[in-house]
Amino acid sequence: MSFETMLSTMSVGMLRTIGIFFLTLLGALPLGMIVALLKKSRFVVVRAIIGAYISVIRGTPLMLQLLVWYFGPFYLFGLSIQGWRFPALIIGFVLNYAAYFAEIYRGGIEAIPVGQYEAAMVLGYTRTQTFMRIVLPQVIKRILPAITNEVITLVKDTSLAFTLAYSEMFSIAKQISASQTSFMPFLIAGVFYFAANYLVAFVMERIEKALDYYK
Amino acid sequence: MIIEMNNIRKQFDGVEVLKDISFGVDSGEVVSIIGPSGSGKSTLLRCATFLETIDGGEILYMGQKAALTNQNGEAVYVDHKELTRFRNYCGLVFQQFNLFPHYTVLRNLTDAPMVVQHRSQEEAEQTAMELLAKIGIADKATAYPFQLSGGQQQRVAIARALAMKPEILFFDEPTSALDPELTGEVLKVIRQLAEENMTMVVVTHEMPFAKAVSNRVIFMADGVIVEQGAPRDVFGNPQEERTKQFLQVFER
Repeated sequence: MSFETMLSTMSVGMLRTIGIFFLTLLGALPLGMIVALLKKSRFVVVRAIIGAYISVIRGTPLMLQLLVWYFGPFYLFGLSIQGWRFPALIIGFVLNYAAYFAEIYRGGIEAIPVGQYEAAMVLGYTRTQTFMRIVLPQVIKRILPAITNEVITLVKDTSLAFTLAYSEMFSIAKQISASQTSFMPFLIAGVFYFAANYLVAFVMERIEKALDYYK
Repeated sequence: MIIEMNNIRKQFDGVEVLKDISFGVDSGEVVSIIGPSGSGKSTLLRCATFLETIDGGEILYMGQKAALTNQNGEAVYVDHKELTRFRNYCGLVFQQFNLFPHYTVLRNLTDAPMVVQHRSQEEAEQTAMELLAKIGIADKATAYPFQLSGGQQQRVAIARALAMKPEILFFDEPTSALDPELTGEVLKVIRQLAEENMTMVVVTHEMPFAKAVSNRVIFMADGVIVEQGAPRDVFGNPQEERTKQFLQVFER
């Protein structure tokens, strides 16, 4: 198999990898905020559920979680899992990353001085206005470095999709490598991940710089 | 009366911080509240500006009740929407300024008037620029708070409170977080407001300032008003032993 053929076969997988990446961010970034806010809910039950969720997600491997989401419906409820592969994959990724993002958001929200809330309250802002206009912009600035870390990990974690035999880029690389007894697919994969993360770091740094106008 | 607080009680974890305090401020009056730390001065301001809820008593602004005590002895407040209206009667300047760091100086002054009071941008900006000119930092309109000195930040915080056009302005130790050489510029602004008959209540440790600017001085200790009166009486001829003790410390 020529280099070009390898590359073009793998590029289909790259698109799928990129798909997992963006769908996970699209779901997990907002969901994480909801989780973070629910964790501060005044209802004990809600706080307990969210606490347990975060603790289980962080305490077990993502690979295991993906298997549970995929095979769980069959083993637990006897449901057919046909066509369930991709949804299970995305649910697994989103719920996993949302838990980590939630903890980052929570840290960011708690770092905002209480005086900011009080100043907003005296001026008559509602709770929603205070959060959206005063708190959230400052939270985003504070948590960007931590978010960058998670996003970079996500790029690499997409390779875990092979657990569910979803043929994203890395799964294909392994197949080609085995069938062609070639090392080249791994090199291509390595360059791809590195380039993707270089781009992520570049974009995040730009955003951080853009928010550097205040302290 | 702009504000009237009657029989205010407030406790934190079983410790009574305000013990049946009654106090009112007339339009145009400048009142200084002095006293040792832990005497309840700041708590009184925080109750007046609705940052803390009272446990008993009543709060009136412009003769309208914002909070009262029901038959069961519980303090009840007007509903959310009404409370926002009452909040707009008063402004509060914090010890730590608490400017919004992500907004320019101008935006700090215009955001709440536009968002909370639904004023037009032109009107809000015009008011803001007038206020900035008045406090002497119109040239900093586009700066961010971190680019200003502490004294400038506190002056902006005063302007931010004034931009809401409050009936009364409360100051919670406005110069305590400032370097000594910066307190003067802030006190000058407050003095200027006093000359314009702005109704103000200032919690302060700046005795000469309290003496010079206020119409009335209140001495608080241990959650009660020990003594109050014209500055020359309270400072010159204090009646209560506790007041004398406190003032002696400052004369040394």
